[in-house]
Amino acid sequence: MSIVRPADALVVAVAAMLVGAAWASLWGGGGPAEYAQVSAPGASDRRLDLALETTLEVRGRLGPSRLEVRDGRVRFVDSPCVGRLCVHSGWLSRSGQVAACLPNGIVVEVTGGDREFDAISY
Amino acid sequence: MPSATDALGRDDRLIAGFAALAIAIHILEAAFPSPLPGVKPGLANVITVIVLLRYGWYTAAWVAALRVLAGSLLVGTFLSPTFIMSASGAVAALAALWLAQLLAGRWLGALGYSVCAALAHMGTQLLVAWQLFIPHPALLNLAPFLLTAALVFGIVSGVIAAIVLTRLGTEPGTARP
Repeated sequence: MSIVRPADALVVAVAAMLVGAAWASLWGGGGPAEYAQVSAPGASDRRLDLALETTLEVRGRLGPSRLEVRDGRVRFVDSPCVGRLCVHSGWLSRSGQVAACLPNGIVVEVTGGDREFDAISY
Repeated sequence: MPSATDALGRDDRLIAGFAALAIAIHILEAAFPSPLPGVKPGLANVITVIVLLRYGWYTAAWVAALRVLAGSLLVGTFLSPTFIMSASGAVAALAALWLAQLLAGRWLGALGYSVCAALAHMGTQLLVAWQLFIPHPALLNLAPFLLTAALVFGIVSGVIAAIVLTRLGTEPGTARP
């Protein structure tokens, strides 16, 4: 009797796939986002439908930031800040993602659908 | 009929002996601190798998049940949440072993049985904990970690059981039905 039989390898492979599926389904991040929440200083939050294709300018503390919505995603195209971290954040498409231009005071968050969390603590 | 009582007596001695071994391992494990709550190597399941493959499911079920019962009495967790978790896990593992034996029979070795039992054990414990003790959906986010641990320890226990089984060899008259 050998230590490992063919069916054993099969069982281990199926089990590994199940565990992998558990990882993928529970830690794979959020589903596609449905809309973007844009907050700017001195203005109420705006909600952008990601299904539409638009560009818009949002007034911040330093000046206007330009946002682009296309293919269910949103990004900063330009912002009057120094580091352009917001622009380098790139496209936001998965629910729960955030891009912010802190010098300009503008935060864009995509939500809707299945939400993704960075961390949960109790 | 003397032969029937003889067989019964031999079975009882077997069950008692293996249960004692399993309880000893169970208690040794309980003494070790765990890196993550709920994660235990579960080496007592080595005994369950060995007994399953040598003497059949019925004997293995007895050994596992006695291990959970007497183990909890000795550790002091009888009828506590820990005991409920332990018992539900053991029941699920035995059910998985029964199903595996029904479906795969001789095709499956100790490794396969051990992995089946470990995953059933952990999955059921997680669901029981979720239903009874921490009814919060975020608890299920622990599932991948716990199932990965169960898979790893299931493989380790299975390999140990397989090695022990080859060392023991096959005695005449003890082949499983």
